[in-house]
Amino acid sequence: MYVTLECDIVKLIEESAQRESVDDIFSEVIDKTRQEAKMTDESVLDIFLNNFNKIARPRGKSLISYFDIGDMREASEDKIIERLKNNSENAIDQAQEVIRQRIDKYGISEPTIQKQGSRRIMLELPGVNNEVEMRQLLQTTARLEFNLVKNNKEIVKTFAKIDKLLSDKAKRAKGLLPDSISAASSTMTQDSSNLANKDSAKSTKDIATKDKKKSKKDNKSEIKDTAKTASADSVKPAADTSDPYAGLSDQEKSKRYYEDHPFTTLFQSYYVTDDGRGGRSQPIAYSLPLEQYPEGEYNFIIPEQTLKKFNNIMARPEIKALIPFDLKIAREAKPDPRVEKQSKQKIYNFYALKREPEITGEYVTEARATFDPNSNQPMVLMGMNSEGADKWGRITGANLKKRIAIVLDDQVYSAPTVQSKILGGSSQITGMANVEEARLLEIVLKAGALKAPVQIIEERVVGPSLGEDSINSGLLASGIALLMVVFFMLIYYVKGGLVANISVILNVILILAILSAFGGTLTLPGISGIILTIGMAVDANVLIFERIREELYKGRSLKSAIDEGFKHALSAILDSNITTFITGLILYFFGTGPIQGFALTLMIGIIATLFTQIVVSRAMIEISLIRGATSYNFGQPKTLNI
Amino acid sequence: MQFFHGTNIDFVGKRKFFVTISTLINIAGILAIFLIGIEFGIDFEGGTEIAYQFSKPLHADVIRNAVDKIGIRGSEIKSFGKENQFLVRVKETDNAQVKITEAFNKYLVDYKPTVLKVDKIGPKIGKELRGQAFLAVLISIIAIMLYIAFRFEFTYGFGAVIALVHDVILTFLVVIVVNKLGWIDLEFNQSILAAMLTVVGFSVNDTVIIFDRIRENKDKMKGIPFLKLVNVSVNETLSRTFNTVLTVVLVLLTIVLLGGPVLQGFAFTMLIGIITGTYSSIYIASVFVLWYMHSVKKIQIDYEPDKKPELKTAKV
Repeated sequence: MYVTLECDIVKLIEESAQRESVDDIFSEVIDKTRQEAKMTDESVLDIFLNNFNKIARPRGKSLISYFDIGDMREASEDKIIERLKNNSENAIDQAQEVIRQRIDKYGISEPTIQKQGSRRIMLELPGVNNEVEMRQLLQTTARLEFNLVKNNKEIVKTFAKIDKLLSDKAKRAKGLLPDSISAASSTMTQDSSNLANKDSAKSTKDIATKDKKKSKKDNKSEIKDTAKTASADSVKPAADTSDPYAGLSDQEKSKRYYEDHPFTTLFQSYYVTDDGRGGRSQPIAYSLPLEQYPEGEYNFIIPEQTLKKFNNIMARPEIKALIPFDLKIAREAKPDPRVEKQSKQKIYNFYALKREPEITGEYVTEARATFDPNSNQPMVLMGMNSEGADKWGRITGANLKKRIAIVLDDQVYSAPTVQSKILGGSSQITGMANVEEARLLEIVLKAGALKAPVQIIEERVVGPSLGEDSINSGLLASGIALLMVVFFMLIYYVKGGLVANISVILNVILILAILSAFGGTLTLPGISGIILTIGMAVDANVLIFERIREELYKGRSLKSAIDEGFKHALSAILDSNITTFITGLILYFFGTGPIQGFALTLMIGIIATLFTQIVVSRAMIEISLIRGATSYNFGQPKTLNI
Repeated sequence: MQFFHGTNIDFVGKRKFFVTISTLINIAGILAIFLIGIEFGIDFEGGTEIAYQFSKPLHADVIRNAVDKIGIRGSEIKSFGKENQFLVRVKETDNAQVKITEAFNKYLVDYKPTVLKVDKIGPKIGKELRGQAFLAVLISIIAIMLYIAFRFEFTYGFGAVIALVHDVILTFLVVIVVNKLGWIDLEFNQSILAAMLTVVGFSVNDTVIIFDRIRENKDKMKGIPFLKLVNVSVNETLSRTFNTVLTVVLVLLTIVLLGGPVLQGFAFTMLIGIITGTYSSIYIASVFVLWYMHSVKKIQIDYEPDKKPELKTAKV
């Protein structure tokens, strides 16, 4: 598999802007820049600035309106441009590093990773079978952020609203609900929490084990449970008062509950209560009036089966509008390993996160998976630079006992609870289920330095059957071609031809040896390069032998004819090979992937040719002369034999 | 064994005729480039190209229908070597491979499609590669001219470059026509570019060998008219020229016939280039030097100028 990647500088610029100041004008500039950047190779930053001047400036906006460079007193247009420029220049180096790590981790033997120009990375990945996976691995936007977890009452209320919106819509579609929704709405939300609890318990049968584990895991979550009593009061007894499903059969109740809660039934929600021994998770149902949900911390888990539906709903614009503007929903990257191990079920945690990250991954300088010497549990050590350490100290200080999610590309890899204010930038992250999880977190933290996502702009894959097929026919053709050349040389130049043939074969062996020393694989263009070399290699000997023959015709002795032949042919051989080498060199620098392979083989071939045809051929002829040969058959007419 | 010995063919005597023919062919080539147009391959056009193999032969329309059904319009279906192998090309780059493969597994399941290779080129990189290709040819021509000018004289360098441009245009003409006629798939992609550039290298190779002999003979045979000098040099190197071209042509012909669809276009382009390169070494490069000596440097290039008065005004 051969891939060229390019850093998405547009995205980088977009991400550099302060989110709260992004408006339609800015989006328009970004959209236009993205379109233009697709078609030209001009610097993306220049295109952006140009568009900004054309679109945003006339409407009274300046770069300072969107970009923040920390100290307001120092903020100037030039400073912002300079910073954007630096970031876009560094982006490619970071991307290359991240990709190298990812590929190393993936375990590809002998990958080639090369920077091409200022924005591209070229990759050669021999033996990749799963291109889809590889593509994901490469294109994943490695943006690491630390976001506060906001699994609070607010988001539970939001979920309840989504339920209502969807169920109302479904009912309207069926004609069950007239125009005036408001009248019905108050009762609609009044559900039997009893039933709901039963119901969720039923649908979480498989997750039951998880519940226990969950509470264990939540031991660390030391949340002050201010709403404990309130919740106990409000969750349970709501049942009798206003049960809209009263008098219905259990089956019917369940059906109705599902109809009324098309969204929240896709996943499980838990209220985390403090039972004195850390945290305990208690399943909740969405049957309370909006204001009655208890304050405090919640947990959400979703099985893989309903994930797609969940994502589809979340992607709808009218649903997006319901989510509080400062929150976003992100799920864990991997299913809970404990549940997966026990029940083979893929269950994901998902979180409501504060949209604005507390800090981004650019400050992370190192990450290392190791073991906690006290508990012997896996953990990850994370280090930050001094600027990051300052920020991190403030953040952790302000959010003691709260959870901060480590988010890479909108997927949560860990959501540890802050145990203490962390000064000096060195943090310990614990709570990993196993070593693999710790190792993954280490990679995630390292990958986080990358600010700009990459896109695949060129991709070539040769399937195994074609590769084999065409390499076979390529090899067959080369074999036949080689035989014909050998045969011709033997007939025409007799003993000289034999010498030439030996050097040609030596030549091919040499090329293969050098190619493998370079770590190159034998590709089709490579084969054509070798074939071409076969054709060209004999040219040098043809030149020499023709010249020797000429000298013999002139009546020179064998020894001096050979000397003269080599001497006079040399300049022609050198000049002609150097010109071909020049084109090879140009091909190598201008071509991509396969063409580079061809050019490299061609250049190696030329050097090997010069060596074998001039040095080796001559040595062979000289040796037989030293051994006392008085005649040498270069295919010249017998009368000329000396 | 000996094909040529002591030949004394008047190669450059009929230069007027050959130069006229070459000029006409080159004009035709340039016209063809503009009128027929170069059919760019996926490398320079951008898009997704997937080679599929099916378990039994089928018609291209069946494949096109399957692609149309998933809403991807304007697909190009080409045969790829064998009856049951096809290239599917679409403009999209994002998800085309997945979508098309899904469609085939759904609609052409009886034919058991397998993916042979995939090339995906973003539209920008395609355009860029085109620019780079042009630049690569240009730079290699200039580099070669400088090298030969440095090794010989500027006139020789210029002559070699004119021969090169001649070869490139002529090869282009053949490639365009053959592709248009559909004999061999020769749309302009990276491997045709590679072939073109190798042709550039080879063509110069041949020219250099004749120039090298002219340079050598010039010192040896002082006083000999230039026309004769060129003829002697071409004749003396004829045996080498023939043998080398023969071996290279043997190799290339084998690949054209047996090398499979991937190498075929490359080998064919080179084959044409090698033949024109050999021709142009004599009739373009050497003749240019001859013309320069005669018309610019005003050197007498033949023994009997009175008998061949047309030479003085001959424009080549």
